[in-house]
Amino acid sequence: MKADEMEKALREEFPGALFAVDESGRNGVRYSVLIALSGMRKAAQILNAAGFFLETITALDFSDTFELVYHFNCYEPKSRIALRALCGKDQTPSSLVDTFRGAGWLEREVHDFFGISFSGNPDMRSLLLPEDADYHPLLKSFGKSGDSHKREDIYGK
Amino acid sequence: MENEQFGPPAAEQIYTLNLGPQHPSTHGVLRILLDLDGEFIVKADPIIGYGHRGHEKMGENRLYRQFLPNTSRMDYLSGMLYNHGFVLAVEKLAGIDVPERARYIRVIASELNRISSHLLWFGTYLLDLGGFTPFLYAFDDREQILDILDRVSGSRLTYAYCRFGGVTRDVDAGFVDMTRAFLKRMEGRWADYENLVTKNIIFIKRTKDIGVIDRELARQYGVTGPNLRACGVRFDVRKAEPYEIYDRFDFEVPVCFNGDALDRYKVRFLEMLQSCRIIDQALDHLPQGPFQTEKIPLKIKPPKGEVYFPFESARGLTAYYLVSDGGTNPYRCHIRVPSFGNLNVINDVLPDTLIADAISILGSMDVIIPEIDR
Repeated sequence: MKADEMEKALREEFPGALFAVDESGRNGVRYSVLIALSGMRKAAQILNAAGFFLETITALDFSDTFELVYHFNCYEPKSRIALRALCGKDQTPSSLVDTFRGAGWLEREVHDFFGISFSGNPDMRSLLLPEDADYHPLLKSFGKSGDSHKREDIYGK
Repeated sequence: MENEQFGPPAAEQIYTLNLGPQHPSTHGVLRILLDLDGEFIVKADPIIGYGHRGHEKMGENRLYRQFLPNTSRMDYLSGMLYNHGFVLAVEKLAGIDVPERARYIRVIASELNRISSHLLWFGTYLLDLGGFTPFLYAFDDREQILDILDRVSGSRLTYAYCRFGGVTRDVDAGFVDMTRAFLKRMEGRWADYENLVTKNIIFIKRTKDIGVIDRELARQYGVTGPNLRACGVRFDVRKAEPYEIYDRFDFEVPVCFNGDALDRYKVRFLEMLQSCRIIDQALDHLPQGPFQTEKIPLKIKPPKGEVYFPFESARGLTAYYLVSDGGTNPYRCHIRVPSFGNLNVINDVLPDTLIADAISILGSMDVIIPEIDR
Protein backbone atom coordinates (compact mmCIF):
# COMPACT_ATOMS: atom_id res chain seq x y z
CA MET A 1 0.00 0.00 0.00
CA LYS A 2 1.19 3.47 -0.91
CA ALA A 3 0.29 4.91 2.49
CA ASP A 4 2.55 2.44 4.28
CA GLU A 5 5.44 3.20 1.94
CA MET A 6 4.90 6.87 2.65
CA GLU A 7 5.01 6.24 6.37
CA LYS A 8 8.43 4.68 5.93
CA ALA A 9 9.66 7.49 3.69
CA LEU A 10 8.39 10.18 6.05
CA ARG A 11 9.93 8.49 9.09
CA GLU A 12 13.27 8.44 7.30
CA GLU A 13 13.03 12.05 6.23
CA PHE A 14 11.72 13.38 9.56
CA PRO A 15 13.20 11.28 12.35
CA GLY A 16 11.90 13.65 15.02
CA ALA A 17 8.32 13.74 13.77
CA LEU A 18 5.40 12.69 15.91
CA PHE A 19 3.37 9.89 14.30
CA ALA A 20 -0.17 8.91 15.12
CA VAL A 21 -1.09 5.64 13.45
CA ASP A 22 -4.63 4.40 12.99
CA GLU A 23 -4.49 1.29 10.81
CA SER A 24 -8.27 1.00 10.67
CA GLY A 25 -8.59 4.61 9.56
CA ARG A 26 -11.48 4.87 12.01
CA ASN A 27 -11.17 8.61 12.38
CA GLY A 28 -10.67 9.11 8.68
CA VAL A 29 -6.90 9.43 8.80
CA ARG A 30 -4.44 6.53 8.62
CA TYR A 31 -1.24 8.40 9.47
CA SER A 32 -1.17 11.75 11.17
CA VAL A 33 2.30 13.28 11.20
CA LEU A 34 3.35 16.36 13.13
CA ILE A 35 6.42 17.86 11.51
CA ALA A 36 8.25 21.17 11.66
CA LEU A 37 6.76 23.90 9.49
CA SER A 38 9.97 24.15 7.47
CA GLY A 39 9.69 20.48 6.44
CA MET A 40 6.23 20.81 4.91
CA ARG A 41 7.42 21.46 1.36
CA LYS A 42 9.74 18.46 1.43
CA ALA A 43 7.01 16.22 2.82
CA ALA A 44 4.54 17.42 0.19
CA GLN A 45 7.06 16.69 -2.55
CA ILE A 46 7.47 13.13 -1.27
CA LEU A 47 3.69 12.62 -1.31
CA ASN A 48 3.39 14.25 -4.72
CA ALA A 49 6.00 11.93 -6.21
CA ALA A 50 4.06 8.95 -4.88
CA GLY A 51 0.84 10.06 -6.58
CA PHE A 52 -1.06 11.54 -3.65
CA PHE A 53 -3.43 14.45 -4.09
CA LEU A 54 -4.09 17.32 -1.73
CA GLU A 55 -7.59 17.13 -0.32
CA THR A 56 -7.71 20.20 1.84
CA ILE A 57 -5.68 22.66 3.86
CA THR A 58 -7.00 24.21 7.01
CA ALA A 59 -5.75 25.82 10.18
CA LEU A 60 -6.63 25.62 13.85
CA ASP A 61 -6.45 28.76 15.95
CA PHE A 62 -5.13 28.13 19.45
CA SER A 63 -4.33 30.86 21.93
CA ASP A 64 -0.61 30.09 21.75
CA THR A 65 -0.15 29.07 18.11
CA PHE A 66 -1.74 28.21 14.80
CA GLU A 67 -1.68 24.65 13.57
CA LEU A 68 -1.80 23.96 9.84
CA VAL A 69 -3.40 20.69 8.81
CA TYR A 70 -2.93 19.28 5.30
CA HIS A 71 -4.96 16.23 4.32
CA PHE A 72 -3.53 14.09 1.53
CA ASN A 73 -5.08 11.05 -0.07
CA CYS A 74 -4.40 8.67 -2.92
CA TYR A 75 -6.92 6.60 -4.83
CA GLU A 76 -6.51 3.57 -2.61
CA PRO A 77 -8.76 2.52 0.27
CA LYS A 78 -8.16 4.15 3.64
CA SER A 79 -4.89 5.86 2.72
CA ARG A 80 -5.39 9.34 4.05
CA ILE A 81 -2.32 11.04 5.50
CA ALA A 82 -2.54 14.24 7.52
CA LEU A 83 0.54 16.43 7.74
CA ARG A 84 0.39 18.87 10.61
CA ALA A 85 2.70 21.66 11.59
CA LEU A 86 2.64 24.28 14.29
CA CYS A 87 2.78 27.76 12.85
CA GLY A 88 3.52 30.67 15.17
CA LYS A 89 1.16 33.64 15.02
CA ASP A 90 3.64 35.72 13.04
CA GLN A 91 5.22 32.96 10.97
CA THR A 92 4.88 32.75 7.19
CA PRO A 93 4.72 29.18 5.89
CA SER A 94 5.92 28.51 2.37
CA SER A 95 3.42 27.75 -0.34
CA LEU A 96 2.89 24.35 -1.94
CA VAL A 97 1.54 25.82 -5.15
CA ASP A 98 4.52 24.68 -7.22
CA THR A 99 4.00 21.10 -6.01
CA PHE A 100 0.20 20.91 -6.08
CA ARG A 101 -1.43 23.42 -8.40
CA GLY A 102 -4.68 23.20 -6.45
CA ALA A 103 -2.93 24.43 -3.30
CA GLY A 104 -3.11 28.05 -4.48
CA TRP A 105 -6.80 28.45 -3.81
CA LEU A 106 -6.69 26.47 -0.58
CA GLU A 107 -3.96 28.75 0.74
CA ARG A 108 -5.96 31.79 -0.27
CA GLU A 109 -8.87 30.42 1.75
CA VAL A 110 -6.67 29.89 4.81
CA HIS A 111 -5.39 33.43 4.37
CA ASP A 112 -8.95 34.76 4.22
CA PHE A 113 -10.06 32.97 7.33
CA PHE A 114 -6.94 33.14 9.52
CA GLY A 115 -4.71 35.82 8.09
CA ILE A 116 -1.83 33.41 7.49
CA SER A 117 0.16 34.45 4.42
CA PHE A 118 1.97 31.87 2.33
CA SER A 119 5.29 32.91 0.87
CA GLY A 120 5.79 31.87 -2.72
CA ASN A 121 2.10 31.95 -3.63
CA PRO A 122 1.95 34.48 -6.47
CA ASP A 123 -1.75 35.24 -5.94
CA MET A 124 -2.77 36.05 -2.37
CA ARG A 125 -5.93 38.03 -3.22
CA SER A 126 -8.94 37.19 -1.10
CA LEU A 127 -10.88 34.25 -2.43
CA LEU A 128 -14.10 34.09 -0.45
CA LEU A 129 -14.14 37.40 1.42
CA PRO A 130 -14.65 40.83 -0.17
CA GLU A 131 -11.47 42.15 -1.74
CA ASP A 132 -11.15 44.95 0.83
CA ALA A 133 -11.79 42.74 3.86
CA ASP A 134 -9.42 43.53 6.72
CA TYR A 135 -10.74 40.85 9.11
CA HIS A 136 -10.22 37.12 9.45
CA PRO A 137 -13.46 35.55 10.59
CA LEU A 138 -12.25 32.18 11.84
CA LEU A 139 -9.90 33.66 14.40
CA LYS A 140 -11.19 32.96 17.88
CA SER A 141 -10.97 36.70 18.61
CA PHE A 142 -13.49 37.50 15.86
CA GLY A 143 -17.19 37.88 16.61
CA LYS A 144 -19.11 35.56 18.87
CA SER A 145 -16.91 32.63 19.69
CA GLY A 146 -16.27 30.06 22.34
CA ASP A 147 -13.24 29.84 24.53
CA SER A 148 -9.81 29.94 23.01
CA HIS A 149 -7.64 27.08 24.18
CA LYS A 150 -3.98 26.31 24.23
CA ARG A 151 -3.08 23.45 21.92
CA GLU A 152 -2.16 21.13 24.77
CA ASP A 153 -5.64 21.53 26.29
CA ILE A 154 -7.06 19.51 23.40
CA TYR A 155 -4.20 17.39 22.08
CA GLY A 156 -2.12 16.95 25.23
CA LYS A 157 1.59 17.65 25.32
CA MET B 1 -0.94 41.39 -40.42
CA GLU B 2 0.19 44.88 -39.54
CA ASN B 3 -2.07 47.52 -40.91
CA GLU B 4 -2.12 51.25 -40.28
CA GLN B 5 -5.84 51.38 -39.97
CA PHE B 6 -6.20 48.56 -37.43
CA GLY B 7 -2.86 48.81 -35.69
CA PRO B 8 -0.56 45.95 -34.82
CA PRO B 9 -1.97 42.62 -33.58
CA ALA B 10 -0.67 43.29 -30.10
CA ALA B 11 -1.75 42.64 -26.55
CA GLU B 12 -4.51 45.23 -26.72
CA GLN B 13 -6.44 42.92 -28.99
CA ILE B 14 -6.97 40.66 -25.98
CA TYR B 15 -10.18 41.81 -24.39
CA THR B 16 -11.82 40.89 -21.14
CA LEU B 17 -15.31 39.49 -20.89
CA ASN B 18 -17.19 39.23 -17.65
CA LEU B 19 -19.18 35.99 -17.53
CA GLY B 20 -21.64 36.21 -14.67
CA PRO B 21 -22.20 36.66 -11.76
CA GLN B 22 -25.86 36.20 -12.67
CA HIS B 23 -25.59 34.28 -15.90
CA PRO B 24 -28.13 31.53 -16.60
CA SER B 25 -25.43 28.97 -17.20
CA THR B 26 -23.11 29.67 -14.27
CA HIS B 27 -25.20 27.60 -11.85
CA GLY B 28 -24.94 29.77 -8.79
CA VAL B 29 -23.31 33.09 -8.26
CA LEU B 30 -20.08 32.65 -10.15
CA ARG B 31 -18.21 35.31 -12.07
CA ILE B 32 -15.48 34.37 -14.50
CA LEU B 33 -13.16 36.98 -15.94
CA LEU B 34 -12.31 35.70 -19.38
CA ASP B 35 -9.44 37.12 -21.39
CA LEU B 36 -10.35 36.51 -25.00
CA ASP B 37 -8.41 36.47 -28.21
CA GLY B 38 -11.21 36.50 -30.73
CA GLU B 39 -13.43 33.64 -29.68
CA PHE B 40 -10.64 31.78 -27.91
CA ILE B 41 -10.05 31.99 -24.19
CA VAL B 42 -6.55 33.00 -23.15
CA LYS B 43 -7.05 33.12 -19.40
CA ALA B 44 -9.92 32.36 -17.07
CA ASP B 45 -10.10 33.70 -13.55
CA PRO B 46 -13.14 32.61 -11.52
CA ILE B 47 -14.19 35.18 -8.93
CA ILE B 48 -16.13 33.50 -6.14
CA GLY B 49 -17.31 34.31 -2.65
CA TYR B 50 -20.62 35.99 -3.42
CA GLY B 51 -22.39 33.31 -1.44
CA HIS B 52 -20.07 33.26 1.56
CA ARG B 53 -22.19 32.98 4.67
CA GLY B 54 -19.61 31.77 7.15
CA HIS B 55 -20.89 28.24 7.72
CA GLU B 56 -17.62 27.19 9.35
CA LYS B 57 -17.84 30.03 11.86
CA MET B 58 -21.49 29.24 12.49
CA GLY B 59 -20.48 25.64 13.13
CA GLU B 60 -18.10 26.79 15.82
CA ASN B 61 -20.43 29.04 17.75
CA ARG B 62 -23.50 26.88 18.07
CA LEU B 63 -24.45 23.45 19.40
CA TYR B 64 -23.81 20.42 17.22
CA ARG B 65 -27.57 20.01 16.87
CA GLN B 66 -28.12 23.62 15.89
CA PHE B 67 -25.78 23.21 12.94
CA LEU B 68 -28.00 20.57 11.30
CA PRO B 69 -30.06 23.04 9.22
CA ASN B 70 -26.83 24.66 7.95
CA THR B 71 -25.54 21.41 6.49
CA SER B 72 -28.08 21.18 3.68
CA ARG B 73 -27.56 24.82 2.71
CA MET B 74 -24.02 24.37 1.48
CA ASP B 75 -24.74 22.16 -1.49
CA TYR B 76 -28.46 22.81 -1.67
CA LEU B 77 -28.95 20.24 -4.43
CA SER B 78 -27.67 17.34 -2.38
CA GLY B 79 -28.62 18.61 1.05
CA MET B 80 -29.56 15.18 2.32
CA LEU B 81 -26.06 13.87 1.62
CA TYR B 82 -24.44 16.73 3.53
CA ASN B 83 -26.92 16.32 6.34
CA HIS B 84 -26.22 12.61 6.44
CA GLY B 85 -22.46 13.14 6.44
CA PHE B 86 -22.52 15.63 9.30
CA VAL B 87 -24.64 13.35 11.42
CA LEU B 88 -22.24 10.46 10.78
CA ALA B 89 -19.24 12.62 11.68
CA VAL B 90 -20.73 13.69 15.01
CA GLU B 91 -21.89 10.16 15.77
CA LYS B 92 -18.36 8.92 15.27
CA LEU B 93 -16.90 11.72 17.38
CA ALA B 94 -19.37 11.20 20.22
CA GLY B 95 -19.77 7.42 19.90
CA ILE B 96 -23.52 7.33 19.26
CA ASP B 97 -25.19 4.14 18.08
CA VAL B 98 -27.73 4.08 15.27
CA PRO B 99 -30.50 1.49 14.84
CA GLU B 100 -30.41 -0.62 11.70
CA ARG B 101 -33.68 0.69 10.33
CA ALA B 102 -32.46 4.27 10.52
CA ARG B 103 -29.31 3.35 8.60
CA TYR B 104 -31.33 1.89 5.75
CA ILE B 105 -33.71 4.85 5.69
CA ARG B 106 -30.75 7.26 5.53
CA VAL B 107 -29.18 5.39 2.64
CA ILE B 108 -32.45 5.37 0.70
CA ALA B 109 -32.99 9.08 1.32
CA SER B 110 -29.38 9.90 0.41
CA GLU B 111 -29.41 7.94 -2.82
CA LEU B 112 -32.76 9.45 -3.82
CA ASN B 113 -31.19 12.84 -3.26
CA ARG B 114 -28.17 11.87 -5.35
CA ILE B 115 -30.48 10.99 -8.25
CA SER B 116 -32.43 14.23 -7.88
CA SER B 117 -29.19 16.21 -7.88
CA HIS B 118 -27.95 14.44 -11.00
CA LEU B 119 -31.32 14.88 -12.69
CA LEU B 120 -31.22 18.60 -12.08
CA TRP B 121 -27.72 18.72 -13.52
CA PHE B 122 -28.86 16.62 -16.49
CA GLY B 123 -31.72 19.00 -17.23
CA THR B 124 -29.84 22.25 -16.81
CA TYR B 125 -26.75 21.05 -18.65
CA LEU B 126 -28.81 20.29 -21.72
CA LEU B 127 -30.56 23.61 -21.27
CA ASP B 128 -27.13 25.28 -21.40
CA LEU B 129 -26.45 23.44 -24.63
CA GLY B 130 -29.70 24.69 -26.10
CA GLY B 131 -32.00 21.70 -25.60
CA PHE B 132 -35.11 22.73 -23.72
CA THR B 133 -37.16 19.52 -23.75
CA PRO B 134 -34.91 17.26 -21.62
CA PHE B 135 -35.05 19.93 -18.91
CA LEU B 136 -38.82 19.48 -18.61
CA TYR B 137 -38.52 15.69 -18.61
CA ALA B 138 -35.84 15.71 -15.93
CA PHE B 139 -37.71 18.13 -13.69
CA ASP B 140 -40.82 16.00 -13.96
CA ASP B 141 -38.80 13.00 -12.71
CA ARG B 142 -37.06 15.04 -10.05
CA GLU B 143 -40.43 16.22 -8.81
CA GLN B 144 -41.30 12.62 -7.90
CA ILE B 145 -38.22 12.43 -5.67
CA LEU B 146 -38.96 15.78 -4.04
CA ASP B 147 -42.48 14.55 -3.26
CA ILE B 148 -41.09 11.37 -1.68
CA LEU B 149 -38.55 13.24 0.45
CA ASP B 150 -41.09 15.93 1.29
CA ARG B 151 -43.37 13.24 2.64
CA VAL B 152 -40.80 11.96 5.16
CA SER B 153 -38.75 15.04 5.96
CA GLY B 154 -41.21 17.91 5.49
CA SER B 155 -38.94 19.87 3.18
CA ARG B 156 -38.25 19.74 -0.51
CA LEU B 157 -34.71 21.00 -0.79
CA THR B 158 -32.97 21.93 2.47
CA TYR B 159 -33.45 18.80 4.50
CA ALA B 160 -32.58 18.35 8.16
CA TYR B 161 -33.95 14.83 8.21
CA CYS B 162 -31.07 12.91 9.76
CA ARG B 163 -30.52 13.33 13.47
CA PHE B 164 -27.83 12.06 15.79
CA GLY B 165 -28.84 8.47 16.47
CA GLY B 166 -31.45 8.16 13.75
CA VAL B 167 -33.86 10.17 11.64
CA THR B 168 -36.63 12.59 12.62
CA ARG B 169 -39.53 10.38 11.65
CA ASP B 170 -40.16 6.87 10.47
CA VAL B 171 -41.06 5.93 6.93
CA ASP B 172 -44.37 4.25 6.23
CA ALA B 173 -45.75 1.90 3.59
CA GLY B 174 -46.69 4.91 1.48
CA PHE B 175 -43.04 5.94 1.27
CA VAL B 176 -41.98 2.48 0.21
CA ASP B 177 -44.72 2.33 -2.44
CA MET B 178 -43.85 5.76 -3.82
CA THR B 179 -40.16 4.88 -4.01
CA ARG B 180 -40.90 1.56 -5.73
CA ALA B 181 -43.17 3.37 -8.18
CA PHE B 182 -40.38 5.86 -8.88
CA LEU B 183 -37.87 3.09 -9.60
CA LYS B 184 -40.38 1.43 -11.91
CA ARG B 185 -41.04 4.70 -13.70
CA MET B 186 -37.36 5.41 -14.20
CA GLU B 187 -36.69 2.06 -15.88
CA GLY B 188 -38.49 3.36 -18.94
CA ARG B 189 -37.11 6.85 -18.61
CA TRP B 190 -33.45 5.82 -18.71
CA ALA B 191 -34.04 4.23 -22.11
CA ASP B 192 -35.79 7.39 -23.31
CA TYR B 193 -32.91 9.59 -22.16
CA GLU B 194 -30.41 7.30 -23.78
CA ASN B 195 -32.23 7.48 -27.11
CA LEU B 196 -33.09 11.16 -26.99
CA VAL B 197 -29.90 12.61 -25.52
CA THR B 198 -26.95 10.24 -25.19
CA LYS B 199 -27.17 9.19 -28.83
CA ASN B 200 -28.09 12.66 -30.09
CA ILE B 201 -25.53 13.74 -32.67
CA ILE B 202 -25.80 17.46 -31.81
CA PHE B 203 -25.22 16.71 -28.15
CA ILE B 204 -22.22 14.52 -28.95
CA LYS B 205 -20.71 17.23 -31.17
CA ARG B 206 -21.01 19.74 -28.35
CA THR B 207 -19.39 17.50 -25.75
CA LYS B 208 -16.98 14.99 -27.30
CA ASP B 209 -13.29 15.91 -26.82
CA ILE B 210 -14.33 19.15 -25.14
CA GLY B 211 -12.71 20.17 -21.86
CA VAL B 212 -10.42 17.18 -21.49
CA ILE B 213 -9.02 16.60 -18.01
CA ASP B 214 -6.36 13.91 -17.69
CA ARG B 215 -5.53 11.95 -14.56
CA GLU B 216 -2.51 14.05 -13.69
CA LEU B 217 -4.37 17.35 -13.97
CA ALA B 218 -7.20 15.94 -11.87
CA ARG B 219 -4.73 14.87 -9.20
CA GLN B 220 -2.95 18.23 -9.20
CA TYR B 221 -6.20 20.03 -8.40
CA GLY B 222 -7.79 17.41 -6.17
CA VAL B 223 -10.68 16.78 -8.54
CA THR B 224 -13.01 14.09 -7.20
CA GLY B 225 -16.38 12.55 -7.88
CA PRO B 226 -17.81 11.93 -11.36
CA ASN B 227 -15.31 14.38 -12.87
CA LEU B 228 -12.44 12.21 -11.62
CA ARG B 229 -14.11 8.94 -12.61
CA ALA B 230 -14.55 10.32 -16.13
CA CYS B 231 -10.75 10.27 -16.47
CA GLY B 232 -10.51 6.62 -15.61
CA VAL B 233 -9.87 6.62 -11.86
CA ARG B 234 -12.19 4.22 -10.07
CA PHE B 235 -12.36 6.13 -6.81
CA ASP B 236 -15.58 6.47 -4.85
CA VAL B 237 -15.64 7.01 -1.08
CA ARG B 238 -18.57 4.63 -0.81
CA LYS B 239 -16.21 1.85 -1.96
CA ALA B 240 -12.82 3.13 -0.75
CA GLU B 241 -13.87 3.91 2.81
CA PRO B 242 -17.36 2.43 3.15
CA TYR B 243 -19.38 4.42 5.64
CA GLU B 244 -22.87 3.80 6.98
CA ILE B 245 -23.85 0.46 5.39
CA TYR B 246 -22.65 0.93 1.84
CA ASP B 247 -20.48 -2.18 2.06
CA ARG B 248 -23.65 -4.31 2.20
CA PHE B 249 -24.93 -3.29 -1.22
CA ASP B 250 -24.02 -4.66 -4.57
CA PHE B 251 -23.27 -1.73 -6.87
CA GLU B 252 -20.63 -0.67 -9.31
CA VAL B 253 -18.59 2.49 -9.68
CA PRO B 254 -18.93 3.56 -13.32
CA VAL B 255 -15.81 4.96 -14.98
CA CYS B 256 -15.02 6.35 -18.43
CA PHE B 257 -11.58 7.07 -19.83
CA ASN B 258 -11.50 10.14 -22.09
CA GLY B 259 -12.05 12.78 -19.39
CA ASP B 260 -14.08 15.00 -21.72
CA ALA B 261 -17.48 16.56 -21.19
CA LEU B 262 -19.22 13.60 -22.81
CA ASP B 263 -17.59 11.16 -20.40
CA ARG B 264 -18.53 13.26 -17.40
CA TYR B 265 -22.09 13.12 -18.69
CA LYS B 266 -21.91 9.34 -19.14
CA VAL B 267 -20.50 8.73 -15.65
CA ARG B 268 -23.26 10.74 -13.99
CA PHE B 269 -25.87 9.06 -16.09
CA LEU B 270 -24.63 5.58 -15.13
CA GLU B 271 -24.38 6.64 -11.49
CA MET B 272 -28.08 7.31 -11.37
CA LEU B 273 -28.72 3.71 -12.46
CA GLN B 274 -26.41 2.46 -9.70
CA SER B 275 -28.19 4.59 -7.11
CA CYS B 276 -31.45 2.98 -8.21
CA ARG B 277 -29.85 -0.42 -7.61
CA ILE B 278 -28.83 0.60 -4.09
CA ILE B 279 -32.29 1.93 -3.28
CA ASP B 280 -33.89 -1.25 -4.61
CA GLN B 281 -31.68 -3.44 -2.40
CA ALA B 282 -32.20 -1.21 0.64
CA LEU B 283 -35.98 -1.39 0.24
CA ASP B 284 -35.77 -5.19 -0.01
CA HIS B 285 -33.86 -5.45 3.25
CA LEU B 286 -35.42 -2.56 5.18
CA PRO B 287 -35.61 -4.00 8.71
CA GLN B 288 -38.30 -3.37 11.28
CA GLY B 289 -37.45 -1.75 14.59
CA PRO B 290 -36.78 1.66 16.08
CA PHE B 291 -35.74 4.56 13.85
CA GLN B 292 -34.03 6.55 16.60
CA THR B 293 -31.75 5.89 19.51
CA GLU B 294 -33.45 6.85 22.73
CA LYS B 295 -32.10 9.49 25.07
CA ILE B 296 -29.66 11.44 22.94
CA PRO B 297 -28.94 14.56 25.02
CA LEU B 298 -29.82 17.91 23.46
CA LYS B 299 -26.35 19.19 24.23
CA ILE B 300 -23.91 16.59 22.98
CA LYS B 301 -20.46 16.82 24.53
CA PRO B 302 -18.07 14.64 22.52
CA PRO B 303 -14.77 13.80 24.20
CA LYS B 304 -11.69 15.82 23.31
CA GLY B 305 -10.29 14.86 19.94
CA GLU B 306 -11.01 15.15 16.28
CA VAL B 307 -12.62 13.33 13.42
CA TYR B 308 -12.19 13.69 9.67
CA PHE B 309 -15.24 12.15 8.10
CA PRO B 310 -15.24 11.68 4.32
CA PHE B 311 -18.33 10.80 2.32
CA GLU B 312 -19.36 10.83 -1.32
CA SER B 313 -21.73 13.67 -2.07
CA ALA B 314 -23.26 14.05 -5.52
CA ARG B 315 -20.15 15.99 -6.61
CA GLY B 316 -17.34 14.02 -5.04
CA LEU B 317 -15.31 13.59 -1.90
CA THR B 318 -16.75 15.74 0.85
CA ALA B 319 -15.52 15.70 4.41
CA TYR B 320 -16.32 17.20 7.76
CA TYR B 321 -13.30 17.91 9.93
CA LEU B 322 -14.48 18.42 13.49
CA VAL B 323 -12.27 19.18 16.47
CA SER B 324 -13.86 18.86 19.89
CA ASP B 325 -12.56 20.52 23.06
CA GLY B 326 -15.02 18.53 25.14
CA GLY B 327 -17.57 21.33 25.06
CA THR B 328 -21.03 21.62 23.58
CA ASN B 329 -19.91 23.11 20.28
CA PRO B 330 -17.02 22.16 18.03
CA TYR B 331 -13.72 23.98 18.44
CA ARG B 332 -13.21 23.80 14.70
CA CYS B 333 -15.68 22.82 12.00
CA HIS B 334 -14.08 22.61 8.58
CA ILE B 335 -15.82 21.31 5.50
CA ARG B 336 -13.88 19.93 2.53
CA VAL B 337 -16.09 20.50 -0.51
CA PRO B 338 -15.63 18.73 -3.85
CA SER B 339 -16.61 21.69 -6.05
CA PHE B 340 -13.57 23.58 -4.75
CA GLY B 341 -11.14 21.43 -6.71
CA ASN B 342 -13.63 20.80 -9.49
CA LEU B 343 -13.93 24.53 -10.21
CA ASN B 344 -10.27 25.31 -9.55
CA VAL B 345 -9.25 22.98 -12.37
CA ILE B 346 -10.94 25.14 -15.02
CA ASN B 347 -8.06 27.60 -14.60
CA ASP B 348 -6.12 25.03 -16.64
CA VAL B 349 -8.93 23.61 -18.76
CA LEU B 350 -10.51 26.74 -20.22
CA PRO B 351 -7.48 28.36 -21.88
CA ASP B 352 -7.35 27.65 -25.64
CA THR B 353 -11.00 26.64 -25.85
CA LEU B 354 -13.82 28.47 -27.58
CA ILE B 355 -16.11 30.57 -25.46
CA ALA B 356 -19.12 28.51 -26.57
CA ASP B 357 -17.28 25.42 -25.31
CA ALA B 358 -16.62 27.14 -22.00
CA ILE B 359 -20.35 27.01 -21.30
CA SER B 360 -20.40 23.32 -22.14
CA ILE B 361 -17.33 22.61 -19.97
CA LEU B 362 -18.65 24.58 -17.02
CA GLY B 363 -21.97 22.76 -17.21
CA SER B 364 -20.29 19.38 -17.47
CA MET B 365 -18.27 20.00 -14.28
CA ASP B 366 -21.48 20.32 -12.24
CA VAL B 367 -20.08 22.75 -9.69
CA ILE B 368 -22.25 24.25 -6.98
CA ILE B 369 -20.89 27.64 -6.00
CA PRO B 370 -22.55 28.02 -2.57
CA GLU B 371 -20.73 24.93 -1.33
CA ILE B 372 -17.39 26.48 -2.33
CA ASP B 373 -18.29 29.80 -0.75
CA ARG B 374 -19.72 28.18 2.38
